[in-house]
Amino acid sequence: MLLRGKYTKIIGLILVTAMMMCFVVGCSGSESGSDVEVIKIGNILPLSGSAAPLGKIGQEARDMAIEEINAAGGIKSMNGAQIEMLYADSKGDPATGVSEAERLITHEEVALITGCYQSGVAMPSTEVAERYGIPYIVPVPSEDQITERGFKYVFRVAEKTSWRNRDQVTFVKEMAEKFDTPIKTVALIYENTSWGQGAVRAWEKYIPEAGLEIVLKEPYPSNSSDLTPVVLKCKNLNPDIIMLVSYVSDAALLTNTFAEHKVMPKAFVGTSGGFADPAYFELTGDNCEYYFDISTWEPDVNRPFSQEVNQKFTEKYGYAMNAEAVKAYASMYIIADALERAGSTDPEALRQAFAETNITEGPTQMYASEIVFDETGQMVNAPLVISQMRKIDGKMERVSVWPEAEARPGMEIVWPYPGVGQ
Amino acid sequence: MDFLSALVNGISMGAIYGLIALGLTLIFGIMKIINFAHGALLMLSMMIAYWIWKFSGINPYILILIVSPLMFGFGYLSERFFIKPVLDRQKDVREPIAVLLLTAALAMVFENLALMIFGADYVMAKTTVTDATIVLGGVTLSAARFYALILALVISSAFFLFLQYTELGRKLRACGQDRNTALLMGINVPQTYAIAFGIGTALLAVAAIVLLPFYYVHPTVGNVFMTKAFIVVVLGGLGSVPGALLGGIIIGLIESIGAQYMTATLTTAIVYLVFLLVLFIKPSGLFGSKFEW
Repeated sequence: MLLRGKYTKIIGLILVTAMMMCFVVGCSGSESGSDVEVIKIGNILPLSGSAAPLGKIGQEARDMAIEEINAAGGIKSMNGAQIEMLYADSKGDPATGVSEAERLITHEEVALITGCYQSGVAMPSTEVAERYGIPYIVPVPSEDQITERGFKYVFRVAEKTSWRNRDQVTFVKEMAEKFDTPIKTVALIYENTSWGQGAVRAWEKYIPEAGLEIVLKEPYPSNSSDLTPVVLKCKNLNPDIIMLVSYVSDAALLTNTFAEHKVMPKAFVGTSGGFADPAYFELTGDNCEYYFDISTWEPDVNRPFSQEVNQKFTEKYGYAMNAEAVKAYASMYIIADALERAGSTDPEALRQAFAETNITEGPTQMYASEIVFDETGQMVNAPLVISQMRKIDGKMERVSVWPEAEARPGMEIVWPYPGVGQ
Repeated sequence: MDFLSALVNGISMGAIYGLIALGLTLIFGIMKIINFAHGALLMLSMMIAYWIWKFSGINPYILILIVSPLMFGFGYLSERFFIKPVLDRQKDVREPIAVLLLTAALAMVFENLALMIFGADYVMAKTTVTDATIVLGGVTLSAARFYALILALVISSAFFLFLQYTELGRKLRACGQDRNTALLMGINVPQTYAIAFGIGTALLAVAAIVLLPFYYVHPTVGNVFMTKAFIVVVLGGLGSVPGALLGGIIIGLIESIGAQYMTATLTTAIVYLVFLLVLFIKPSGLFGSKFEW
């Protein structure tokens, strides 16, 4: 009995080894059999943890773009090379992001890396790629610093955070002139973590430059039980413009309290975040009507390819794209374009190709009409859209209103703020 | 005028803090239990009230008659099945810390149950009073906050009278003063404890309902008010009903009026500073006596 057991084990071992050999031979056989090259792209995304849903939509957008690129014949200058996507889970954690970047470069030998969702992960993981001299494309993170460190291999498709604040100021200035409603004073109300404080630093630069005066800088803890005191203070100063940085629960409390105390500036301008959260409409009802918010893409924005790609995505995955998904999708076409021009995966040739990017047609149009990187690797004119919350057929919607060329056709901006239910 | 607005807002918000702290101070005063599940129970009351409102559309203030008895039952049974067994086992322990850990665990269970059942979406009961405002001599106050203030005052006074002048009230206070002596006097202490916990939870349900028309409901909403309730209870004096109300109003006023002269972030620091000062000068709180009731 004992002897038989021993034999079975040995025979089993031999069989398993034989099978594995077959596989190995089989694999290498098929690879050497075809001359189609495979280009590996490493992608670092938060696929687990609290940001997992955001990582997932980024992955889906990438996959859809790569499927299209591969189906259209891959990279033609490289004999129709196919792109293979490798995903690494950062868990939203900077340290994990760094070790995954190391692994992708040294172990998987990827041609380039894309990612991440969080700026906090992008900052240290781009350093790894820079050290190894591997191109790193950053579709989403917007922290200013990412492209301000003199790195040669990092290219950012997203805008800088401070550009949002810059464009908010440009927007209100333009509107004031267009509607002939002079504005002078601005109140800044923001949650008191690094996000809000970062926005304020940018505003402090752009608002005085535009000839406006900051009359109130009011930080508040986002878990405040009551924001009425902040609203009362704001009402007392009666500013022309109120700019806000908030998460969703505090954005809703502020909006409802502003309505309650009938605060009437010329405009309320949000900075994405809580204002872009679907729960915001549920929590505020009609109170948020005529508020402005800034983002990089809206489903209704008037750009080529925007409707078509979003529709395809919605049919494929069951929900619409968001601004981050659009940036991830466009990034894949930017990568394919660079690979095409480089004609190889040599990091230096690839870096050169990215630096010389100049795309003015194709699916990247849904993000920006012109894709060009400056010498720091920053996308030059990352576009921003201002939308206004409007009630259409009894349902609150975000309507793209600015820049005018990209606005939803047939919709007029409501300026100045007319009050709730007007 | 603006000062007046801030004053009125501070008082109304403070009265709500007081109302929330009322249950906490009762449970502590009588059972000597620090109830860490207080915030979670507030959230649970809000969730239940929200869903009943959503499906029936009843005026939220009438909901008090439904949700309060429901939460009384819930509190009563929680005491019976969770807290009592642990209390019994630690009867002769000088520092019965297990109950404290138990309530912390219950808080987590309630929060995660709510997450599972109701989901992580922020919701809000947009009732008829939600966007109504009352203007009195130039001072604007939302109707919901005004009713909250009235209800907080009425409920606290009624509860105070109940404790002072009814048979059950006397029993409750007796248990709070010395449970062994109360037992010797023929009071059914375990039952009185369960009733105390039930009343504490029912009072919390009233607070939940006054918040409902103007506050969001989310599994973590309890945490926003939890720390404040603890500060209020210590400030007013552990176990004191008028102390809870006054403590709440003091904090509401600091937050509201303070914010007119400094940033809102700073007023939070001031609240804790006042709290520390009270602990230094009068550790038993404003209304606390060394005899505790």
